[in-house]
Amino acid sequence: MKKLQLTSIAGLIVLVFMSVLTPLIATAADKAEINTVATLRDHTEITSQKEPDRIPQVINKDIKQARSYPMQPPVIPHTTRSYEVNKNNNKCMSCHSRHRTEQSQAPMVSVTHFMNRDGNFLAEISPRRYFCNQCHVTQVDAEPLVENTFTDMHSLMKKKASTSEKH
Amino acid sequence: MTINRREFIKANAIVAAAAVAGVSVPAVASNLITSSDITKLKWDKAPCRFCGTGCSINVGVMDGKIVATHGDIKSPVNKGLSCVKGYFLSKIMYGKDRLTTPLLRMTNGKYDKEGEFTPISWDQAFNVMAEKAKDALKKDGPTAVGMFGSGQWTVQEGYAALKLMKAGFRTNNIDPNARHCMASAVGGFIRTFGIDEPMGCYDDLEAADAFVLWGSNMAEMHPILWTRLTDRRLSAPHVKVAVLSTFEHRSFDLADNGMIFTPQTDLAILNYIAHYIIETGRVNKDFINKHTNFRLGETDIGYGLRPEHPLEQKAKNNGKTKGSSTPIDFDEYAKFVSTYTAEYTSKLSGVPEHKLKELAELYADPKIKVTSFWTMGFNQHTRGVWANNLVYNIHLLTGKISTPGNSPFSLTGQPSACGTAREVGTFSHRLPADLVVANPKHRAIAEKIWDLPEGTIPAKPGYHAVLQNRMLKDGKLNFYWVQCNNNMQAAANINEEAYPGYRNPKNFIVVSDPYPTVTAQAADLILPTAMWVEKEGVYGNAERRTQSWYQMVEAPSGAKSDMWQLVEFSKRFKVEDVWPEELIAKKPDVRGKTLFEILYKDAAVGKFSLDEIPEDRLNDESRDFGFYIQKGLFEEYASFGRGHAHDLAPYDRYHKERGLRWPVVNGKETKWRFKEGSDPYVKPGSGWDFYGKPDGRAIIFALPYEPAAESPDEEYDLWLSTGRVLEHWHSGSMTQRVPELYKAMPDALVYMHPEDAKKRNMRRGDLVKLISRRGEVQTRVETRGRNKPPKGLVYMPWFDASRLVNKVTLDATDPLSKETDYKKCAIKIVKV
Amino acid sequence: MTKNTKSTTQEYHVASLVASPILAQIDEVKAAINDVAGMEIHATSDEGKIVFTVEGCSYKDIDQKIEIIRIHKGVLNLSPVYHQVLDESTDIDTTI
Repeated sequence: MKKLQLTSIAGLIVLVFMSVLTPLIATAADKAEINTVATLRDHTEITSQKEPDRIPQVINKDIKQARSYPMQPPVIPHTTRSYEVNKNNNKCMSCHSRHRTEQSQAPMVSVTHFMNRDGNFLAEISPRRYFCNQCHVTQVDAEPLVENTFTDMHSLMKKKASTSEKH
Repeated sequence: MTINRREFIKANAIVAAAAVAGVSVPAVASNLITSSDITKLKWDKAPCRFCGTGCSINVGVMDGKIVATHGDIKSPVNKGLSCVKGYFLSKIMYGKDRLTTPLLRMTNGKYDKEGEFTPISWDQAFNVMAEKAKDALKKDGPTAVGMFGSGQWTVQEGYAALKLMKAGFRTNNIDPNARHCMASAVGGFIRTFGIDEPMGCYDDLEAADAFVLWGSNMAEMHPILWTRLTDRRLSAPHVKVAVLSTFEHRSFDLADNGMIFTPQTDLAILNYIAHYIIETGRVNKDFINKHTNFRLGETDIGYGLRPEHPLEQKAKNNGKTKGSSTPIDFDEYAKFVSTYTAEYTSKLSGVPEHKLKELAELYADPKIKVTSFWTMGFNQHTRGVWANNLVYNIHLLTGKISTPGNSPFSLTGQPSACGTAREVGTFSHRLPADLVVANPKHRAIAEKIWDLPEGTIPAKPGYHAVLQNRMLKDGKLNFYWVQCNNNMQAAANINEEAYPGYRNPKNFIVVSDPYPTVTAQAADLILPTAMWVEKEGVYGNAERRTQSWYQMVEAPSGAKSDMWQLVEFSKRFKVEDVWPEELIAKKPDVRGKTLFEILYKDAAVGKFSLDEIPEDRLNDESRDFGFYIQKGLFEEYASFGRGHAHDLAPYDRYHKERGLRWPVVNGKETKWRFKEGSDPYVKPGSGWDFYGKPDGRAIIFALPYEPAAESPDEEYDLWLSTGRVLEHWHSGSMTQRVPELYKAMPDALVYMHPEDAKKRNMRRGDLVKLISRRGEVQTRVETRGRNKPPKGLVYMPWFDASRLVNKVTLDATDPLSKETDYKKCAIKIVKV
Repeated sequence: MTKNTKSTTQEYHVASLVASPILAQIDEVKAAINDVAGMEIHATSDEGKIVFTVEGCSYKDIDQKIEIIRIHKGVLNLSPVYHQVLDESTDIDTTI
């Protein structure tokens, strides 16, 4: 709210002086715009800083997100706040372990998680997979700063399949 | 997410309607494509682009694009695992803002320091660079040009850069960002053992009975080593884990003995353990008598600040003698450490006596095999070399070294900090294979291998990383090329010591990067750079494992690898442009030649033909230069170490292996160095042989606790520690462009104790300013995140380009290693 | 540098249909379908049956769009086959 007001005041000032200063302001602004190339700083000089936005919220919809490719560890579609995962306790496993999934209806951890370093299956999750957060992360409700042009293999395959269909 | 679900139900709708109409399902809606020529992926191996663990990654390519990455099941390092960053490697090259053309600051079509970034051709870029470099050389000589490189350079890139700078331009002003990362570890190794890099290997993780983490948050910073440690701890219940840090972090989740100590008092704790071992009669007398010497080190050595700084004025021994030491005997050493009683140490450090004792017992008990891990907590420390020396002391006193599970293990932060920065020696004082420029014999060895006249390599060490920034500011370093790092975000004290040098009108700054980083924004010329599997290369990880990869995809059109840039640039210089006549006269056949010919094409580098590259492999650089340049650079470089305890295998073999740990002798890698039976360089019958020292003995150093450069006071009342997070790597220039990683950890928050927040009338999410004597940064308060600092200390990671915490940090360095202490400075926090 | 994107309540509808046109007017029918925002043709059978989808943000929206095709003079019969609604409203926790 406060920020908004400031912006509108600044806008007014610009409007008032516009007629006189237009050419000067335009070039200076263009140059600053062109030279502040660091995308992740959102056109900000190194010597200054934009006001940091609010802490974004963790997405807690429990809706599965598609994986970018088959081996990608799925992201966590719910909050994990105050989940205890330490040497005595693993809260994630109270829903995702094999014998809890019937009650929880949560997805069971992948079978790969039962394999030890040598690729042999154990009766329980391998301790090397114990700390879930090393691969699985929650997602906040925020728009990425930079678009990513990664191509899903499925779209490449579909393209090829439709090309071959036409022939 | 929504888009994918929409596509899914839409496809279902199409399938249903198609069935009703009796038509075959269109490709867009078919739920499974089975044709093998369409579904086939081309898989290949490459070491991970991120940390020093050196996981091997399987990279899946389809139609010239990386479409998948996952942990390599065949790699002994990670056995199929990868951390969340590693899993998303497939996306790091595809940020939409990849640079594809050189950008020069220009006004009216001409270079102007105050001009606007304007797209130009590579030819124009090299023209202006060469002009600026030649101007600087002509005006002030070789010390006016310099380069800041990286532990993320491939071995070949680092070697090409080192040769261009040290032999071509005849300047030692080349340093890697690894200076910020493990220079103290190097100092520790050289001082204690006379040879760099860990004696042990990751196999220690499955052999140890106890692990001690000293200033290392492995759970976030070396996640895959942490999975191995966790595996060991949880599958063998007798195993114990001790974790020491200045704040509580994720690695404490596995700790049997977690200890929070007051910053800088790790030095006292290390000495206490030595004292405890002696006091309880558990010194391995036989071992210390045969394999060690004792020395007393110089003290009061200053803080690596500018000479006029009050702390440097006050320090007594910050001159040339700061690294010196005098021999003492065991009794004198025992007396020295006897100051560090449990009571004294506990009071100083804030760690309860029983916890200290429990920790010391892990080292003292001869039945316990103990591995110590450390990273930036030790290395980024104004007494970093000392901290390294002191941890070796306790392993040497007990003889717990170089055998499986007994291992003092320095972990590295970058994928080739060991391979490129240390082994190739891209430092201002080094040459390949532990040779140094100050030693005339070492220079002669390099000049012989390079077939260059005596006196080519300057004897005086050049400007190290921190000094480079100071010399830029002071106008002494005028042509500066930054490759493969983001130092305007990474260097301490940006406001006073980093930014002014880049924008100094006397200087011309070139920054090579795949993305427009903060550093690129501070540059005068930006060069678009190919990355990772867009080129062929070699990395060396923290356990001496050398790993290679092939180029797998084309770089975006216009982007070129660091190595191509270096070698192509060398074509712009005739030897007469850079060498004095008297040097040329010593080797007249170089007359009229370019540096490209002298250093690369006509040297050993140029002797491997293109036929040696498998036909189906991409290799843009070699096909451009006309010879297999990656192999040539590697083989010439390897000739420095072969036969000198740094042996590397023939280049081609690395393409077939998941890496090999050097020294590779008679085709076999070495797991534990300095131990008879596992290291072929050990003298038969000696048991252990620390052959880096002339008498084969490692040194136990008597070194005291000394205070930090800056501690909290009434006004600046909090310690600030900075560091990394699991989801981002270093400055985030790659990982912040991966949507999943960005959304997992979008912003750098300041982690603080809830009571510290309350006392300042702050709540989680509040907008605050961190203020030091040097600058300020705004962020928001986090009181319940993954890091739980004690009262009086806050933690803020540095990955966030929009919140530059290094505007606040202090550029105090270890006077021995010149590595900056990013873990300690004094700040205050106010609400905005 | 976070850009918050506070989500709003929203529905996504998709329906699939099969249209049987007068064969002489098949091209006009196809053109009519292509003219409606959110409609997309996926296949046409040998007998001239047109498989298409319609996407929208509510029942009403979908119905109105379908109506345009239903009353087209070249359409003999229009069979709705499938309809699904995706609730895209969000439920957000306040933690990180």
